Amino acid sequence: MDSFITTFHIDWKIIIAQAINFGLIFLLIYFFALKPIKKIMSERTTSIEGGLNDAKNNKALLAKTQKEYNEIIVRARTEAHEIFLEGKKEAEDKKKIMIENAKVEVENMILSGKKSLESEKIKIIEEAKGEIVSLVVKATEKLLESHKDENFDKKALEQIKKI
Amino acid sequence: MNENINQNKINEIANTPVVSQEISHESTLYAEPIGHIGSMQITNSLFTTWIVVIIVLILTLIIKIKAKLIPKGIQNVFEVLVEGAMDLADQVTGSKKITAKVFPLAFSIFIFVLISNWLGILPLGGFGLVETTEHGRAFIPFIRSGTADINTTLSLGIMSVIGANIFGILSIGLWKMFNKYVNLKAFGEIVTKVRKEPAILISAPIMFFVGILELVGEFAKIASLSFRLFGNVFAGEVLLMSMSAILAYGLPIPFMGLELFVGFIQAFIFSILTLVYFTIAAQDHDEHEEDEGKHVKEVLV
Repeated sequence: MDSFITTFHIDWKIIIAQAINFGLIFLLIYFFALKPIKKIMSERTTSIEGGLNDAKNNKALLAKTQKEYNEIIVRARTEAHEIFLEGKKEAEDKKKIMIENAKVEVENMILSGKKSLESEKIKIIEEAKGEIVSLVVKATEKLLESHKDENFDKKALEQIKKI
Repeated sequence: MNENINQNKINEIANTPVVSQEISHESTLYAEPIGHIGSMQITNSLFTTWIVVIIVLILTLIIKIKAKLIPKGIQNVFEVLVEGAMDLADQVTGSKKITAKVFPLAFSIFIFVLISNWLGILPLGGFGLVETTEHGRAFIPFIRSGTADINTTLSLGIMSVIGANIFGILSIGLWKMFNKYVNLKAFGEIVTKVRKEPAILISAPIMFFVGILELVGEFAKIASLSFRLFGNVFAGEVLLMSMSAILAYGLPIPFMGLELFVGFIQAFIFSILTLVYFTIAAQDHDEHEEDEGKHVKEVLV
């Protein structure tokens, strides 16, 4: 044993010093390299897994949304078509009603026009009659003034009596 | 009076051994001292190990500062190295739980031994001291691979084996670990099982003896770990020196490549063996035997 120790210069102080050196290296590697790198690697794994899950969820959500969108589009088209048909029908009904109303109004207008024309006609005739009578009276008066004799008066009276 | 003094000086010079002016450099089995701190010798191997510590400090600080979620440069290299090493360690231990506990130690051993081995190969051997000894003037290089000193490898080997036993105690308990080496349990079984199995009278002492062998085996582990590493690295340094002596220009280059490979392999072997020792220490012999017994029964059925 002594020859072994002297041949290889075994020194317990150096053995301890080397153990301390290794301990330092272990601490440096563990606390400065392995621990932070493992933490970062695990964070990365978590974030990648989260990202993949999100992507999977988003894909499912997208498919669901696409389906809903298609359904909504189909429903909207159907509803739009129904609304269009309904609107068309309503418009046609309104059109018919308006035409009917217009016809009635036109007829009423024609009737009222006819009535007003009749009343104007009667009024004009009445006025014409009055003017004719006054003209006849005036003419008669002038005639009578120009032929002032007894014969004429008698003849005129007789004729008036006949009338 | 003056004549006497001159005569004494002449005698002194005549009695002084003739010192060769040529500077010799021989490979020694031990690390040469390059200084002292108090009563402690500072050897060139110890000095090289301090350089290793500084290199590791710089590298780990860079990794710590530059560590980001999206890796770049040195972080990439380190992550690839760690991931690969962890996969390998998983294969060796067969358990992620054990790997998680032992990996930092095994990885540190690997880095320490690797950088120590490779530092010895660096062509920095020209820097050193010239000391006058009784055999003449000798050159002592400042750099000698840390692992080319038995004190370093012995230190690592002792730590590895003691660490494995402490890990075993923490994993399976002090009593079971004690029974691995001093198998009192085997003797206890003689009393309880002798009627059912009389053969236990023979097997129990054998088991006890196997336990003692295991204890001896632990010392053998220290010796094998430390001498394997020391022998390989020291032999490499001697080989390189011999090649340089034959032809200094060019000839050592292929051997340097070889030594780089040997340095890596030795670091790898040391760390893998440490992993194996820790894994073995964490295994319960009784459970292992029961499992094997069950397996044999299953196969027979």
